[in-house]
Amino acid sequence: MLPAVIPVAFVVIGGVGTTLLQSLGLMPLVGAAELSTAAFDDTDELLTSALLSLSIAVVSTAIAAVVGFFTAVLIISGNWGGRIVGVLGAAAVTVPHLVGAATVGLLLSDSGVLARLLGVSPEAWPALVAGPTWFAVVAEYAWKESAFIALIIVGTLATRITSYDETAAVLGARRPARLRLVLFPLAAPSLLVASAIAFAYTLGSYEVAWMLGKTYPEPLSVMALRLFNSASLTARPEAAAIGVITVVLTAVVVAAAMLGLRRMRAWR
Amino acid sequence: MIPTSAATDSMTAASAAPESTTSAITLTAVTKTYSAASPAALQGVNLDILPGTSTAIVGPSGSGKSTILRIIAGLEDANGGRVRLAGRDVTALLPEERGIAMVFQRPLLFPHLTVLDNVAFADRAAGLSRAHARERAREHLELVHMAEFGGRSPHSLSGGQQQRVAVARALAAKPSVLLLDEPFSALDLGLKDDMHAMIAEIRQAVNPTILFVTHDRDEASAMAERIVVLENGQLLQHDTVDHVFHRPASLAVARLLGGKNAFAGTIENDVHHSALGAVALDGDVVSGPATLVFRHEAVTATLRQLTSGADAVALATRHADAAACQRSGPRALHGVVTAIVQRGPRREVIVRVADADVHGEAAPGHPLAVGDLVTVSLPCEALWAVPA
Repeated sequence: MLPAVIPVAFVVIGGVGTTLLQSLGLMPLVGAAELSTAAFDDTDELLTSALLSLSIAVVSTAIAAVVGFFTAVLIISGNWGGRIVGVLGAAAVTVPHLVGAATVGLLLSDSGVLARLLGVSPEAWPALVAGPTWFAVVAEYAWKESAFIALIIVGTLATRITSYDETAAVLGARRPARLRLVLFPLAAPSLLVASAIAFAYTLGSYEVAWMLGKTYPEPLSVMALRLFNSASLTARPEAAAIGVITVVLTAVVVAAAMLGLRRMRAWR
Repeated sequence: MIPTSAATDSMTAASAAPESTTSAITLTAVTKTYSAASPAALQGVNLDILPGTSTAIVGPSGSGKSTILRIIAGLEDANGGRVRLAGRDVTALLPEERGIAMVFQRPLLFPHLTVLDNVAFADRAAGLSRAHARERAREHLELVHMAEFGGRSPHSLSGGQQQRVAVARALAAKPSVLLLDEPFSALDLGLKDDMHAMIAEIRQAVNPTILFVTHDRDEASAMAERIVVLENGQLLQHDTVDHVFHRPASLAVARLLGGKNAFAGTIENDVHHSALGAVALDGDVVSGPATLVFRHEAVTATLRQLTSGADAVALATRHADAAACQRSGPRALHGVVTAIVQRGPRREVIVRVADADVHGEAAPGHPLAVGDLVTVSLPCEALWAVPA
């Protein structure tokens, strides 16, 4: 167990601990260490960013969970369509988010491929990229994470779902009933875990929102990156404070997911 | 054709299944091939199962036993032939539309449901309220003596208990036919006996039509009144338990059912001549090449009474003079014990008679040892001839 514990402890205690100390002014780059919550003082800005980050993460994870689940069902069915979707899903997982964001940008921008294919002028094209709805950001995360969630579900269910599905069928359960009473409950633990991972990633990553989102307001991760790279060395505690807030939000959601997991009979 | 009229009846049942609207299951020329490279899993199988009966399908691994069940259930598509349930052609129907239920080798209880909700599953899937479905489920759990386990999780039950719940769950679906695919093969002997008793109780209570697959001959005879024998995808015989064991349609059936005594020879005037000597047969026996078969369980070996004096061949000849077995009385052969195998309370003996080995059982209370001179008696009812 020790080999697994050491790197986790190193990251959690070392990384998060350092960030926490820095956010509280106890590890300044210059000057004397002094306990302070000044980095957390701009509550309006932080609240706006936190709500924006949570909104993006919740919406994209929810879409990814729904799409991922039905994609998994299609893949598990084993027919031609399922196989093709399985290959596409596996391919989508291998694409880095940065490349995915660039692709979505080229596809959805007002002078992008989709607008040209549909023959819509840039003026008439909705602001999907860098617009008020954060559509492109959510779409990119939902696309990538749905493939991830689908493959996680397929991986955990593939070896046993056929048997349970056949059992339910010979008990007279039609396909919708099997989906509701067997497939979804059995997939729920892996769906929840995969969704929690996707949520944590979406909340913490910056590149997609940075490339495809508005410049203001900023999600937490984009703001943290900007402040961390700021020429002003005094901005470091503020960047660390955002990091701490992000960690807390993620931890709360993951803890809730784990509690939910423990309550699931299929997981027990 | 050598066998008696009884055997001919058996063969008729095996080769031609009349379509009957009263039959619970009718298979007509059912064929199944999984791939062009592999041999056919089923080759033109005809089968007729009457309602309320329990029928076992036996055969070696790969003979197509489970494939028949899966085709009846709709889990596999046949390449040819028709499947009818209670006269209704269900060949093109989905499993959930056939009105059957199936229990597999593994209980496959849904892990996310309690025992009670597992049994209530079919009613819930059919749209009944949770309360109503659970109420019915309790009745079925009582039927399998698992009423007190309703609130438990499946994983907290033993293998035998899980299989009881699986049977209750299948019965709760109110199937016209209950299919069992080696459901008790993973259980130990004691549990198997309990399961057989449970199935007998269920049959008394609700009398479902049962078709089950087993590789265990004892289980087949304990749970069924009829047996279907399959080999290489072909139906060799479908008959009563007694006939399949004692009146096999072929040497292959005799071997598959564990018959150890088979002696190739020729029948002349109701007497079979082989390395064993001359053995008179009963019934309408057709002359010609034939193999004499009889169950080793029907043959008893006892220490030879030396006062009789005559050797085996001479005695055999004397008995063969009689026209038929019943007139000559039980056939007695003399020989030497060459091996003894203890099987639980029974002792299986191999006796060298003339130029042949006869498998039999030592009579209870008679100590025997290798090298003993013994008399083996062959009851007339045990003797049977199959085509050579």
